[in-house]
Amino acid sequence: MSVESQLVVVGAILFALGLVGFLSRRNLIVMFLCTEVMFQGVLVNLVAMGRLHGQLDGQVFALFLLVIAAVEAGLGLGLVVLLFRRRGTLAADAWATMHG
Amino acid sequence: MSESALYACSIVILLCPVLGAGLVGALGRPVLRGRSHFPAILGVAAATVASFVLLGQVRGAGEHHASVTLSLYQWIASGAEAARDAWFNIDVLIDPLSAVMLVTVTFVSLVVIIYSRDYMRRHDRPEQGYERFFAFMALFVFSMCALVLAGNFLLLYLGWELVGLCSYLLIGFYYQRPSAAAAAKKAFLVNRIGDFGFGLGIFLIYLTFGQLDYETVFEMIGQGVAAGGQAIPEGRLATIALLLFCGAIGKSAQLPLYVWLPDAMEGPSPVSALIHAATMVTAGVYMVARCGAIFVASPVVMTIVALVGALTALYSATIALTQHDMKRILAYSTISQLGYMFLGLGVYAAGSAIFHLFTHAFFKALLFLAAGSVMHAMGGIIDLRQFSGLRKLLPWTCRFCLVGALALAGFPLFSGFWSKDQIIHHAFGANFWLGLIGLITAVLTAFYTFRMIFRCFWGEQRVPEGVHAHESGKWMLVPLGILAAGALLAGYFNVPGDRIGLFLEPAVQPFVAHAHHAVEAGFWAEHWLMFVSGALAVIAIGLAYLVYVVLPWAPPLLADLAPGAYRLSYNKYYADEGYDAAVVRPLRNGGRLCFGIDEYVVDGIIWLITAIPRGLAYLLRTLQGGALQGYGLTMAVGLAIIVLLVLWT
Repeated sequence: MSVESQLVVVGAILFALGLVGFLSRRNLIVMFLCTEVMFQGVLVNLVAMGRLHGQLDGQVFALFLLVIAAVEAGLGLGLVVLLFRRRGTLAADAWATMHG
Repeated sequence: MSESALYACSIVILLCPVLGAGLVGALGRPVLRGRSHFPAILGVAAATVASFVLLGQVRGAGEHHASVTLSLYQWIASGAEAARDAWFNIDVLIDPLSAVMLVTVTFVSLVVIIYSRDYMRRHDRPEQGYERFFAFMALFVFSMCALVLAGNFLLLYLGWELVGLCSYLLIGFYYQRPSAAAAAKKAFLVNRIGDFGFGLGIFLIYLTFGQLDYETVFEMIGQGVAAGGQAIPEGRLATIALLLFCGAIGKSAQLPLYVWLPDAMEGPSPVSALIHAATMVTAGVYMVARCGAIFVASPVVMTIVALVGALTALYSATIALTQHDMKRILAYSTISQLGYMFLGLGVYAAGSAIFHLFTHAFFKALLFLAAGSVMHAMGGIIDLRQFSGLRKLLPWTCRFCLVGALALAGFPLFSGFWSKDQIIHHAFGANFWLGLIGLITAVLTAFYTFRMIFRCFWGEQRVPEGVHAHESGKWMLVPLGILAAGALLAGYFNVPGDRIGLFLEPAVQPFVAHAHHAVEAGFWAEHWLMFVSGALAVIAIGLAYLVYVVLPWAPPLLADLAPGAYRLSYNKYYADEGYDAAVVRPLRNGGRLCFGIDEYVVDGIIWLITAIPRGLAYLLRTLQGGALQGYGLTMAVGLAIIVLLVLWT
């Protein structure tokens, strides 16, 4: 298997782990962490593709993505804090009121 | 006849009452209140003056130019310019018949409305709804004038319906009383049945002749052509006549649609006097006289008209014999006298029928207003069992009432004698039995009328508890006096030489042309009948005097002699109960059935149909768990499916 393929596999594993974690956790902050892990998976994938084309575009895009992830983390955590203040708990079940 | 004068008169007659009504309606409550009678009286007075002018114009025109149709306003313009004939205008037909009717209607209306000014007061303060009363009365006068002046069937129908509406509004004047509200409803519904037939008749006229205005239709009938120049189908005219007569039966309270009139006495006495004695109920008679061409075309229908009239006259006279409520007696008497008018029409004596209408308007309105005067004095009670001997307490009311009663009974020389006698005379000329029924009814009429008079005014003086009996004020007595003069003298408009009959001849030409029965049965024959009917009336009055004044123990004895007959008469032959069982109850149960079907069957089907979305929703609801992870999982699964699809295609 070539280096790129291995890298892509690593990225895919990271993404999958993040997805599974997101779907199975109750704690809002941990769910958030898992989305970050999903981000990292995508990041690794991008670097691998950059190496495939022999250009630096992939890595540049990855840097951008890092920044975005950081910003989004700040925003998201701010929202989580507000949600916590509303219900007094970090469990995602607290917000499951709109159901059939 | 100067056309401009005719135009002016028609417009005044049609507009002034309704303007008065509008004025009272709009300004009565806020501004006029106790003076609401002014616009009404003014409007009707203007119409009265115009009617007299109109009459003068018609009289001055002579026989051959007696009938004029004026088009006042183009109302419905339908179809192309070429089909101008099919346009409906507000046409008025001015001829002797409408002139005589108008004078009767407006004059009696004026007198009654003047009377109402005092009647609708309690201790000199206007009653609740004073303004409403005068607005409706003025509206009624307008409707009746529209009916009489109408030059086409459309306007006739408009006036017909409007008088029915005003009758409903005025019968139910004391609407807070359940009996009054029920009586108003009954009047309207029973009238509706007749009006249904009437409407069908008018439709048929339009279908057959393509026109609705009198002149054209009667001309076409005279020539025997229908629309498009074809011959009139066999029996068509008879059908039309019968349908129109249905309307007359309803409006003029003949068998079997008379049941609303006795109940209509729930309204104030002026209403009973005007609408249910002098004017609205005579609309049927007027209509038949006007549509003479249609009716005389079929001898069968004429026989039916005469029979219905005669039988109704006899039937209601027998009911009036046992009633205790003064106004009910007068109501049945009205039905009976209307029967006489139809009998007259049925034996081709249209002039006599209209003459009787004319005299009857005076003496019947007089009697009702006098009853109202008694009612006022007795504190609202009109039951003969509760008072008697009012002769000394209410002298003028007694005198005027006596005049009216003498006229109604056909006492010689009073107006009723002349007009009733003419009808009976023509009836005998047509058929012995019809004449006999007329004569017997006349005897009964005299008897029950004076039964009422003697029980009310003679005998020992008795008044109900706590009632202070006083004679009525001049606003009420003067109109009574005017009507009494009319009841006494109205006959003399006609008697020497049959002036009214001759005057009406051009208008009721079809009746005159078909009168087979020679009225010229000789001097002695006509006068022999007069002696007989006059004598019978006097005998009947004497008999009533005997039974009710001289021998006060006699009436219960007589009642016991024929208990079955008495009970039948007293309970109005159970007609109301019969209608209730045969018509009202089945309809009401039918209504309940329909309601049940609507609620269970129709709504049930809808419920079934809506079960489908409801079931689907029940299934789909599970997809919305509310938990965040559920939605996330759904998204991931969807994504996976798309990726797989992309990879494998």
